[in-house]
Amino acid sequence: MKKLLSLTLALVMVLSLGAFALADDAAEITYWSMWNEGEPQANVIAEAAEAYEAETGVHVNIEWKGRDINTLLSAALEASESFDLFDDDYTRIGQVYAPYTYDLTEMAEAAGYEGYPCFNNQAIEWAGCLNSIPEQPNVGGVFYDKDAFEAAGIEAAPTTWEEFLDVCAKLKDAGIDPLAQDGAYTNFTFYYQLVRHIGEDGIAELRDNGGWAENEGAVAAAQEIIDLVNAGYLAEGAPDEYPASQNKIGLGLAAMVVCADYVTAEVDANTGTEVNWGLFNYPTVEGGASADAYMGANSLAIPSYSEHAQEAFDFALFLTTGEWGQKLADDAAQIPADPTNECTSLPGAVETLLAAEKPMSWCGSLNTHPAWQTMKDMFTELFEGKYETGADFCAAMDALYE
Amino acid sequence: MSMKKNRVLIFFFIAPTVICLLLMYVYPVLRTVAMSFFHVESVTADLDAWSFNGLANYDKIFHNAGFITSMKNFLAIWIVGGVITLALSLLIAVILTSKIRFQGFFRAAIYLPNVISAVALATMWVQYIFNYDYGLLNQLVTFLGFDKIRWLGTDAKLWAMIAAFIYGSVGYYMLIYISGIEGIPTDLYEAATIDGASKARQFFSITLPLLKGIVKTTITFWTINAATFYLWSKLFSPVQTEGSTIVPVIYLYDTVFGGKGVIERDAGAGAAVGVVLTLIIVAVYVVTDRLLKSRDLEY
Repeated sequence: MKKLLSLTLALVMVLSLGAFALADDAAEITYWSMWNEGEPQANVIAEAAEAYEAETGVHVNIEWKGRDINTLLSAALEASESFDLFDDDYTRIGQVYAPYTYDLTEMAEAAGYEGYPCFNNQAIEWAGCLNSIPEQPNVGGVFYDKDAFEAAGIEAAPTTWEEFLDVCAKLKDAGIDPLAQDGAYTNFTFYYQLVRHIGEDGIAELRDNGGWAENEGAVAAAQEIIDLVNAGYLAEGAPDEYPASQNKIGLGLAAMVVCADYVTAEVDANTGTEVNWGLFNYPTVEGGASADAYMGANSLAIPSYSEHAQEAFDFALFLTTGEWGQKLADDAAQIPADPTNECTSLPGAVETLLAAEKPMSWCGSLNTHPAWQTMKDMFTELFEGKYETGADFCAAMDALYE
Repeated sequence: MSMKKNRVLIFFFIAPTVICLLLMYVYPVLRTVAMSFFHVESVTADLDAWSFNGLANYDKIFHNAGFITSMKNFLAIWIVGGVITLALSLLIAVILTSKIRFQGFFRAAIYLPNVISAVALATMWVQYIFNYDYGLLNQLVTFLGFDKIRWLGTDAKLWAMIAAFIYGSVGYYMLIYISGIEGIPTDLYEAATIDGASKARQFFSITLPLLKGIVKTTITFWTINAATFYLWSKLFSPVQTEGSTIVPVIYLYDTVFGGKGVIERDAGAGAAVGVVLTLIIVAVYVVTDRLLKSRDLEY
């Protein structure tokens, strides 16, 4: 009797283990997410994972890693740690993690995936193949309160620097501070101004060899910011401590801010309002070198060694396109990852991204300079009114190269 | 039980601790020191990917403007912040051990910032006390008839951060000093009082000399705190690292993992920063140990 019982129990154990192994092999993928549990994106992802399991039988095991996922990914990918899908900034996926990521080209073709050409082309240029799918596209520019513009009698968004200054004057006359500016983003605003004059290639030349004071475009860009400050077009207290200045748009005290599209959700959440947001491309300057816009993305990628690459890719598409892609865009107030979906939070953003061929970087031509942190403080000082002229500022920049 | 059996037993008892220490402390330390002499991109790269480059990582960091700025900020935190924090906490400790009324309340109140999360504390300072529009300090300034001050502007941000950090640290060091002062026999003070020594004389001739060991400990603790200063700097520059608040550990972090829009990584240079910071802490300990000899004092 005892022998029979032992045999039965052993059999049950072996069969159970076998069943678990089979089940694990066939129907589970592990997703390392850059979101934190409870965030709008995380809520949609969790719901989408349940819907995906109900539809396909594949369970998505989500591990919420948060924004510091970049400190984990290199080591995890190098050690071939067991996970099938992850998300992070697409610049890192395209350049740092590229050797450890799956080539998605064939699966994307088979699924008829198109996405945004600007991100796909950039990923292919960096990694040599399509190795990521955008999950949260971003676009930079001037974000403004349409109601404030209407109150100031402004009918059209400005396209040139002169028109921009006119808009600032009208807003000021209407009693609204024109431009919110937090210290955290002064480098981004000034970089935009500099790009308009000399382009990213010109900035790369300055980064490598200096010569700011001899560069007419650099001097003019700095002078224009100084003039903007002296004209009183910055919000009171600007450059302020993030996010105090940008919040003034939600409080009805300022009208515009230069940032990426996530600023809209941040301001709405911080101030408990729903600003009637609009977006226009950063104004161009006469005889300038570039009219590009900053574009970036948090994207999904699959480790090259994943044994469930197809399931992971299918879930990535399930989440970012169609019904769930629209829900992600709506609930998280972000630009849809699927350009056939509608951007309810920022009309026009999808069209802007689709029209772009090559994205402008996030200060990419300067942020590898050894004195980058000091430069950033100097950009803030420019907005603080510490320099008399653009030439003074550029001379101070050149001093960093000595 | 024989001595031999005892030794075997001792070995088995300490083996888990020794193994853990070797794996989790000695190995990472040795690996970091070794890594600082190699060009290594990723902190977990295989040894095959390491290439020896001598002192190039040290040369790189000591010629990098970001690292130099971070060291200047570290020195400001260590020296200015250290002098103010340790002096203030010693002063408060002396006052609170001199039988004043409500000493329990004051002890608790001054220690309170230490039981609050540093994230909450820093947020309070950044978003409320230093806020330009409605911050406590600017309300005070405008009440007195002056113009508002940009407390978190590029010139003032480091000092604002140090002030906030001091506020959060004084209670901790105060408790250490209080425990030291309470360990000094009261008959020494009674004898000094009978001999006519003033309170100030008692402080300089009894309290301070007998606290040498404690002072040495607090200086070492403060040095470690200043060298590993990270969270407050992150919270005072939440979006991107800024020159006004960068400290060596932030520089190390950005060097090893990259920053916003920065993909370059250099684990070798990051390791060199770690080694330099360790050497600073060891040097400070050795110097204070030599300067503040407390071994000849017994009570």
